[in-house]
Amino acid sequence: MRSVRMMFMVYIALIVAALAYAIVLGILEH
Amino acid sequence: MARFVRDNGLSLAFGAIFLATLIGQAISGADTFNHGQALHNGDPISLGHYVTSAVFWADVMENWQSEYLQFTLYIFATIWLIQKGSNESKKPDRVGRESDEQQRLGTHTQPDSPRWAKAGGWRTTVFSNSLLLVMTAIWIASWLAQSLAGRIVYNAEQLDHQAATVSWPTYVTTADFWNRTLQNWQSEFLAIGSMAILSVFLRQRGSPESKPVGAPHAETASSG
Repeated sequence: MRSVRMMFMVYIALIVAALAYAIVLGILEH
Repeated sequence: MARFVRDNGLSLAFGAIFLATLIGQAISGADTFNHGQALHNGDPISLGHYVTSAVFWADVMENWQSEYLQFTLYIFATIWLIQKGSNESKKPDRVGRESDEQQRLGTHTQPDSPRWAKAGGWRTTVFSNSLLLVMTAIWIASWLAQSLAGRIVYNAEQLDHQAATVSWPTYVTTADFWNRTLQNWQSEFLAIGSMAILSVFLRQRGSPESKPVGAPHAETASSG
């Protein structure tokens, strides 16, 4: 299960990073 | 390593084709953008500039939000709605949130049940809804990101044509925002509805998304 938990964390990290980037970009870029 | 790949085949395979298609979208998107620039006597931009621009992210987020909405709604709707004969539905007598016994909660937990399932109180309540909560959060965040990045793209277009720019609250009431949103939603809802009804009468041997090939059409909720 350790490797499965790692995949879970990779997916969550990737999704959160992309969402955070897009939101910050959307707020800052004019 | 071989075991890691086998244990995570689905998430690895879909993660890989996600990245490959995202790269494809970036390359073709940059090309399309630069084609537009050339037609309007504008300067071309680099691939690096394009993938950090609101144009690219508005497109990415627009598709993400509809996918996460699709799964969010499906997780929620399948608690309460059934489709007779469908593998995508649960059995008619299990409509609703089900008993603690069916959900292996309270006195029905097992030694290897997740810690928050055994904890009781608010932790079990949160864990009992965690999939829906996280999918909803990703949907809302990606829809917000689509609206923020979409507004920048919209305003750039407005400025190009000497028209007035709009604020974010105004942008989310524009036809541009809703057209981008609804064109994605309609396809997701059709795909979900199709999957629910087609899985009643059609089969794919070996797939858990299908009933067993020999299962009767009237049999509901039997993974193959």
